Amino acid sequence: MGFSSVYWDEVQEGDELPGHAREITRTTIVATAIASRDFQSVHHDHEGAQREGAKDIFLNILSTGGLVGKYLTDWSGPEGELKKVTIKLGATVFPGDTLTAGGKVARKYEEGNQHLVDVEYHFSVAMGPHAWGTATMALPVK
Amino acid sequence: MSDAYEALQAMVGQESELRGCLDDVNKAMIRHWCEAMEDGNPLYTDEAYAKQSKYGGIVAPPQMVQAFSMPPLWPKREGKQDPFAKAVKLIGEAGYFGIVATMTSQEYFVPMQLGDQLSYKIKLANVSPEKGTRIGTGHFVTAEYTYVNQKDETVCIQSFTVLTFKPGTGG
Repeated sequence: MGFSSVYWDEVQEGDELPGHAREITRTTIVATAIASRDFQSVHHDHEGAQREGAKDIFLNILSTGGLVGKYLTDWSGPEGELKKVTIKLGATVFPGDTLTAGGKVARKYEEGNQHLVDVEYHFSVAMGPHAWGTATMALPVK
Repeated sequence: MSDAYEALQAMVGQESELRGCLDDVNKAMIRHWCEAMEDGNPLYTDEAYAKQSKYGGIVAPPQMVQAFSMPPLWPKREGKQDPFAKAVKLIGEAGYFGIVATMTSQEYFVPMQLGDQLSYKIKLANVSPEKGTRIGTGHFVTAEYTYVNQKDETVCIQSFTVLTFKPGTGG
């Protein structure tokens, strides 16, 4: 199976990343929390979440980070390398939400011998923006 | 509030001791993470692909680094409370006990390879003056996590900011 790469030479500032949507189920929230070794009750215990003021269990931050990283390297291919990811946090993600992702290449530049892009991305649910920010990635050159 | 804020300002820059992560970077945890995240990047789970890559073998997703540092359910780890947790507790006692995470960022330096033994330390990086926000009146408290491997190479530096606020002051 081949994996395609986005090459720095071919990328242009303003390029949009393909959109992506994921249905977030109760299982998604629990599985990602446990896989990230986060046992806080708000991520798996309905009553526990309500005691903390949330309406239901919700996606943990490590998993937001996991999904952001995946979205970026799904676009770049496995030769793309995450250098820095900044995540601003907004609306909570609950079971039944659809998490929609988008992004665009904001900047293309060289630093030392690295060929870099800054990608502005955003993840949203119906209630509004869930996570957004800028990621710096190194891309391969042809 | 100014007394608590002065006390917190005095704590800025304090850093915890270096703490070892309980699990080495390992294939099983990586696969379980990728399974839950639905991350099909072959560098993380395809040995043949990873072997011919520049890494020479499977690596963990960079954004997974914090998962290796998470405290265990059981047995509970003994140890001093880190300066960030201490600051959040102190500011909570001063009435700012609402808490919401506002920002997290990670910068990656070296890859995590199978068998790597990670450690981390937590610094109280910043406490803002009191600010009015939509969520409530409070202070932004920022922690800086540094993750290193067994060769003492910095793997990742993470910044994490929470807003600690007085409940009921939003709007």
